Formats: sequence, structure tokens, C-alpha cells
Amino acid sequence: MNMHVQGLVVTHTGRTLLDVDDLRLERGRAVTIVGESGSGKSLLAHAVMGTLGAGLEAQGRVVIEGTSYDVAERRARRRLWGRVMALLPQEPVLALDPTMRVRGQVAEGAASFWSDRRSGYRAAEEVLGTLGVAGAARRYPHTLSGGMAQRVAFAAATIGGARVLIADEPSKGLDDHARNDLTVLLHRHVTAGGILLTITHDLDLGRDLGGDVLVMRDAGIVERGPAHQVLITPSHPYTRRLLAAEPGRWRHLWVRDRTSGATERTADPGGPTLVQTDRVAKGFAGRTLFSDVSLTIRPGDRLALAGPSGSGKTTLGNVLLRLLQPDAGSVRHTQELAGGRLQKLYQDPAVAFPSRVPIGAALADVVRRHRPAPGRLTSLLAAMRLDESLLQRTPGQVSGGELQRLSIIRAILVDPLLIFADEPTSRLDLVTQEETMCCLMEQVERSGCALVLVTHNQALAHTVADRVLAVAG
Amino acid sequence: MSTATTTVPAHWPRWQRLRRLSPTQRCAAAALVLLGLFAVAGAWVWPDPAAQDLSRFLEPPSLAEPLGRDHLGRSVAGRLASATRLSLATAVACVATAVVAGALAGVLAAWRGGIVDTVLHGLSEAFVALPALLVVLLVSAMSGGGLWTLYAGLALAQWVEYFRVVRARSALVLSGPAVEAAGLLQLGPLHVLRRHLWPDLRPLLTTMATFGVGTSVLALSTLGFVGVGIAPPTPELGLMITEAFPYYDEAPWMSLAPALVLATVLVGLLGLRGKESVS
Repeated sequence: MNMHVQGLVVTHTGRTLLDVDDLRLERGRAVTIVGESGSGKSLLAHAVMGTLGAGLEAQGRVVIEGTSYDVAERRARRRLWGRVMALLPQEPVLALDPTMRVRGQVAEGAASFWSDRRSGYRAAEEVLGTLGVAGAARRYPHTLSGGMAQRVAFAAATIGGARVLIADEPSKGLDDHARNDLTVLLHRHVTAGGILLTITHDLDLGRDLGGDVLVMRDAGIVERGPAHQVLITPSHPYTRRLLAAEPGRWRHLWVRDRTSGATERTADPGGPTLVQTDRVAKGFAGRTLFSDVSLTIRPGDRLALAGPSGSGKTTLGNVLLRLLQPDAGSVRHTQELAGGRLQKLYQDPAVAFPSRVPIGAALADVVRRHRPAPGRLTSLLAAMRLDESLLQRTPGQVSGGELQRLSIIRAILVDPLLIFADEPTSRLDLVTQEETMCCLMEQVERSGCALVLVTHNQALAHTVADRVLAVAG
Repeated sequence: MSTATTTVPAHWPRWQRLRRLSPTQRCAAAALVLLGLFAVAGAWVWPDPAAQDLSRFLEPPSLAEPLGRDHLGRSVAGRLASATRLSLATAVACVATAVVAGALAGVLAAWRGGIVDTVLHGLSEAFVALPALLVVLLVSAMSGGGLWTLYAGLALAQWVEYFRVVRARSALVLSGPAVEAAGLLQLGPLHVLRRHLWPDLRPLLTTMATFGVGTSVLALSTLGFVGVGIAPPTPELGLMITEAFPYYDEAPWMSLAPALVLATVLVGLLGLRGKESVS
């Protein structure tokens, strides 16, 4: 059995969003599609599944098990869902039904469930057992860790025996540990003779999965070939650009080279202390997240708090900022941090701006309150390569990368001494991540302010920061 | 993938947004404006709605008197205009008072928390436990009737619902990251009110107030209908229906006209409400 996509074109009001002439998927060989957001790679998954939005016009054919389906006809493929092909959703914690216990929602996908519930439940327990999460059967999704939720979602997607598995950004929001587990699961599906189509902007996942890699850009495929070739020695300039955007390969002026031995730290070890914590501890609902953390942050410091999701990195940051009270220990701020010179960047910048007000109005309030030098806002917009017309839009009408740069501008306008960046790029694709981090670090470099970066990406932590504090959880 | 949306950009001037009203909303607005014009113009055409002329007892409709005359020879159209004016003005005043009081108390409770929140929330709980009409009846019984007690009673019965919605919504907004960021930027409470709370609460409050006006008009006429509202001879929609009932066979238009006005007000207000934007 194999799957063949022929002459697939998706358009919206005359604009071509996806144009893939020929794509063949074979049993036992993983196919991974990488590319930046907006390149049409998620549309490909939806076009194959038959879940394209109503406003999109599609043409082309998908041949599955010798049967040919017209892409524009969305209903015919419904009966294949779960039995022949399945979609592994992104962010499994959100995709699982919060009101159902795990066993029940996994069992719903079993072929026998609707005729014989007991055998459905038995099948669910069996699948959960082989995935090593038998203990989760009677629990609700919100009590699961990210890695367990990922396995449960995998069980729910594959229990129906679907040979074709489409994974749309499966590693989004997962820490390194959960990501490795995911890779093992996907590998298992491929070696068992399944067809796997993975859509991701995580190049490491593509390397780990092996098989073939397709690089997409502007609705089309720019390069294809074996993973070890495309993702290590690419031939197309765009793929090279994509690879260069991986944090471990950044070569920017602000990246402080620590391998050369002569670490030229601008942070003065004898300088004044901005924030000092003394044996702080914090926990929620009886669970201790961290204890005995003693830290000193001085001007020019670059500190990363790295660790798996749910380990308390953000909580530690909020304690440093005195947005949260520690359970034990003390946090001292220098006098100079008063007056708004301590700023925070959020993981989702859309919720950090007033949602119904044009961004310009929100920034005007900051300018009125803090009175930066005249023209500072305009020059910052130019430095971040942002158009001034963006200021007339509300946060929901601006892309994530642009909005994060606007929130960097908002923080820089008040001339901060310390910026706390909470996963500022975890929702952005590689190229946008590099662009956004560059904008942030150029400003940090110029102003000499201290930076505390929270991230689950080890490579990013080590590239940006001088000190990495591992938060174990 | 975002499909084409027809939402109006936030920076468009207000009058341009008005042009985006749906046909239903236009019809509803037109009906309400006509009703308002009738109520206001009635004051000039029929200056004294209480003037009696017993010789014109139950006169049928004519060009000069489009709704005829009632059992005391009073102009029905004149009384209807006066009653509509009274109902709409009282209802709008009640709702305005309830919105301002409820919203201020709600924001205060959500912002300050602690004892302020406990006291205000407890008070609202007590009002929720009583049926709204009972509150109005209690207030008018305590101070002997009259328009002012009706107004005070209705406003008192209605502020609770605004308080509870505003309190719940404000607590959500105030605990969000956007307000946390505003705190780190030290933008002050005025910024939070103007940029965070008000834009978020405004669509909620307008929808609720639209319904509130309808409820108030209906409550006033219910009280008039059962004879505990505004005392005769002041014309009032519910009272007019009661007074006209004995003559329903000879002059059905006398009781149907006030009912039609009530229906127009309610349908108009319902039709006016736009699609609520969900954030």
C-alpha cells in the first residue's frame, strides 16, 4: 500500500496557497515537510485528510490503497478517518477532551467500540499499555504531563489501525524529553509498515525521523531528498537559510563566544546587584517546584532558565520579578529597578497587549508616561524592520513574530535595566525566531541591560545566555 | 489559514461603522426612531392628555384623532404618546443609573478585592434572592407610590446584574498578562480603565442595557396593568390597557394600540442588538 498525491493546488480568492505536483508516500519510509509558517505545509495535511476550510478551493487527486479521491470532494474520505488514515494533532493537551477519562476517549477510536464497548475498552487498555501509559487509563487529560498526553493522543489516533499517519507540528510546545519519546513513537509506526507524513518546523525532528524531507516555501516545494542529505548538506539557498536559523548555528555579533576561552563578559562581576535572591522556594498545591535558589543578577548579565515544561521556569522568573511571593527565602531588588525599569516579554504577545485597542494607542500611553527621546518609537520601529501602519491594527491583526517585536519595542521604550523574556519565541518558526531574537539581543547589547531568558530549547539557551540555570522540576 | 473577514477595522471612524448595520438592525432602528418621534411630537399635537370631553365618549378613529377617544372623551393618541414618552424616559433613566452604579461597583469589587468585594458581593447576593418586581413593589409600598419610587425600585432591582457581570469580567481582565504588563510599565489605573477594562466591557454593557430598557418598559407596564404602578390620570401603557378592557367590544383599538407600542419597543430593541463579538 502507498499513498500518492497528484497535482494538488489549493487557492483562496485567486491566490495560490499550495501547489504540489507529485508526492509519493511509501510504507516504512517517513516523509517530513519542513518550512516556515505560511508556506502552506499545514494546508497539505488538511487537503490530504479532507479537512480543508470551506473558503478554500482545491483541485487534484489523492490515491490511497488504489482508490482515487478528488481533493475538492471532502466527504468521501470521512469513512477513512481512524481506519485508514489518522491525524496526530498538535498540542495534545489541548486536543484531548478535558471532560472524558483517557480510556474512554481512546476507546472511541477502536473499530469494535460501537458494537461492543467492553472490547473497545480492552483494546484501549492494551494500546495504552504498549505505549507505557497504562496508568493513565482512568485519569483525566489535565492531570497528565506533556509527554504522557502526547502518548495518549498517539494511542487515540492510531487505535483504529490507520496505516497512514499525518502528524501536524507534533513537537510544538514539547520539551526535549517528550520530543524524544515522540520520535520513538513515530519511528515505531514507520518500522511497523506504516505511512508517516510529518509537518514540522523542527529540523531536528526531521533529522531524527530520517526518510525523505521536503522543504516548502511560498506554496511550493523547493527541495526534496533524503533527510541526511537535505538537512545536513542542502543545495537550495532557502534550505541553507533555514539551517542557518537554528540557534546552535547563529553567528551574530551579539553572540558571546564562550568556546574561545577568553570570555569577554560585559557583565562586571563587581558591579552593582540588580536582583538578589536568597534561598527562595515555591510550590503549588503541595508540590515543590524549586527550593534553595540563590541568584545574583548584575547589569549586562544574560541568564537562561532552561528545563522541561511544567518545571517551574516561569514561576521562578515571576518570583525574581516579585510578581509572585516566594514560599521561603527573599528577593531583593535594587532601588533603580523601581519606576518600570524591569520589563517582561510574554510567550504569547497577543495577550500582553490590550486586545481591543490599536497597538499604537497602547504604545502612545507608554510614551506619554515615560517620555523617551522624541522620535525613539519611529527609530525603534525602523530598527525592528516594522512598518508604521502596523500601529493602527489591534493585536489580533498582527502576526506573532511582528507582535513579539512590537512588545520588545514597548519594553525598550522605558529604557529597562532588566528584561525577563518568558519563552519569547517558542511559538515562532525558525527564521522568525532568529529575526526576533536578533532584534531583542541587538537592543540588549546596545543598552547593556540584563536579560533573563526562559526557554525549553537548550540550544537557544546556550547560544543566548552566559549562564544557564537548569530548572529540573 | 484565515478566510476573508468582513470585520470593520478598529481605527475606522464611528459613522463608517454605523453604515455596516445589517438590514434587521436598520429596520429595528427605524421603528424605534419612529416611535420616539411619535412620543416627542405627541406633546405638541396633544398638549394635555388628561383633557376630558364627555360628549365625545368612545368616538371612533378619525383623521384628527387617529385612535379615537376613550370612555372619558380623552384623546387616545395623545395619551399613548404621553405614555410612550413616560415609559421610554423612565426605562432609559433606570438602566443608565443601574449601569453606572453596577459597573462602578463591579470594577471596584474586582480591583480592590478583600472586604470591599465581600461586602458588595454579599449585597448583590441578597438582591438576587429577591424577585425584581418584589423589590420594586417593596420600594413603592415603603414610600407611597409615584414615579420616583418606581424609578428607584427598578434601578435598585437592575444594578445587580450589571454588577455581577462586570465584576466577573473585570476580574478576568485584571488578572491577565496584559494588565500585568501595564503594571510593569507603570501606566497607572487610568490606562487600565481606558484601554483594558472599558473596551472589553463596552460591548457587554451595550447588549445588556438594550435588554434592560426592554425589561424596564415591560416592568413599568406590568405594574400599571395590575394597578400598583403610576396612579391615574397619568397615562401609562399598562394602565391604558386595563382601562380599555371593559370597552374592548366597542373600541378594540383602545387596548390594542398600547400593546402594539410595547411590542414595537421590545422587538425593536431585540433587533437592534448586533452580533456580539467574542474575544
